[in-house]
Amino acid sequence: MMEVTSERRGTTVIINTAGRVDGSNASDFQDALEANIGADDTAVILNLAALDYISSAGLRIILLSAKNLRQRDVGFSICSLSSSVHELFIISGFDQIIAIHSSPETALAAQS
Amino acid sequence: MAEATYKILVVDDEVDLQPLMLQRMRRDIRSGRYSFVFAHNGIEALEKLNEDDTIDMVLSDINMPQMDGLTLLEQIPSVDPNIKSVIVSAYGDMKNIRTAMNRGAFDFVTKPLDFADLRITIERTLAHLTEWRAALASRDQLVSLQRELDVASKMQKSILPTRFPQRDDFEVFAHMEPARNVGGDFYDIIQLDGGRLGLCIADVSDKGVPAALFMMSSRTLLKGASIGCENPGDVLREVNDLLRETNDTEMFVTLLYGIYDPATGDFNYANGGHNEPLLIKPDGSSSLIPRTGGIILGVMAGMEFADNTINIGPGDTLFLYTDGVSEAMNVTAEEFGMERLAGIFADTPPSDAEETTMSVFEAVHAFAGETPQSDDITCLTLHRSESGS
Repeated sequence: MMEVTSERRGTTVIINTAGRVDGSNASDFQDALEANIGADDTAVILNLAALDYISSAGLRIILLSAKNLRQRDVGFSICSLSSSVHELFIISGFDQIIAIHSSPETALAAQS
Repeated sequence: MAEATYKILVVDDEVDLQPLMLQRMRRDIRSGRYSFVFAHNGIEALEKLNEDDTIDMVLSDINMPQMDGLTLLEQIPSVDPNIKSVIVSAYGDMKNIRTAMNRGAFDFVTKPLDFADLRITIERTLAHLTEWRAALASRDQLVSLQRELDVASKMQKSILPTRFPQRDDFEVFAHMEPARNVGGDFYDIIQLDGGRLGLCIADVSDKGVPAALFMMSSRTLLKGASIGCENPGDVLREVNDLLRETNDTEMFVTLLYGIYDPATGDFNYANGGHNEPLLIKPDGSSSLIPRTGGIILGVMAGMEFADNTINIGPGDTLFLYTDGVSEAMNVTAEEFGMERLAGIFADTPPSDAEETTMSVFEAVHAFAGETPQSDDITCLTLHRSESGS
């Protein structure tokens, strides 16, 4: 079960993902991310506060999005990771290439 | 029914090789498993390939007069794109091995030739060839994703070693059970000089044939780098950079590689984003080995990988696994988790690599019950004997 919603702060879009992202719904996750990012957005913050679990297939989608957005000069960061999800970002080394913040507010502050 | 005969073209300018090969492989020749054709340089090899379209694989030296092995590799696909090649190179000749791999060699063996090792490499190449042909034959008629995934899973199985070192002073055992819809885990055991042993466990993101192909190249690159580099951190850096060169689908692989030295019990390792292995003491207590902070391979070029060394004492066991173990789920969507894993070893302190490996599979199956397996499960166990030295 996965749910993706979004809210706007100026030209920054905050995308909230809840539930589980794994091999069975990774492509839905990718579609949902793309659908929530507008052509004029200058930054994307992925809020994972309500994310229970993410598998390597889900990590791959985050990586793909981060790279695509970087090419378009759109900022990308993630925030509000649970300790188990944060652990996964540390083990995978993704914390070395993707900015991680403790809350949407600190992520927003870092954008400006 | 007799097994299929495979025809192998051996290309080497050393005249002594032909009688030696025929002598050492005589049983396989007599049984009808292999037949050999010989050429002494690349040009002669291409002539043979043009004349005879029943040749299945090429085993070629690199340095030869008229046309060398690396040039030959470039030419082979224009004769038959489905021939698999194995390169014979000098030990540690990373530059040529790299070039050969980039030009499509399936595998390599090093000089001086160890015929037992060569036979294993030939069998693995032929097994892959069989699956490759099956994949080609079914490519046009794949009626469902499942069919393709079956092919991926067979490709995966064809590259995993099934013979393990079993010595008085230590033993290794490994096993992989694929999930129905995934083909991404692999392990490898690589003989290094000085009696040392390279151990690897890995998990490719994604599933299906693309992931299986990515797994194949990861494994081949790792094998090449493990012989070319002294240090596990350098091995991972090399594999990571080479994977990035040809990776536009953003697939990646978590991979832990370490070198075990039986003389000292030292295990020198580097970790590219893989779950930390467990070190289990003779009393059954266990702990995760220290992190080295490396990133998953295939994500970004130019990354550095730190390494670390732990000592595996007499009676200790090193247990490598993929997240198919720790994240296996039961009917109430609860994860197997690390506590249950540690509990297996606490209840029965490991004394045998195979028993320990299989006991984890039993425990995971018992826990999961009727829940379908959603990810490959792979375990590799190294047990150092209490007394042996």
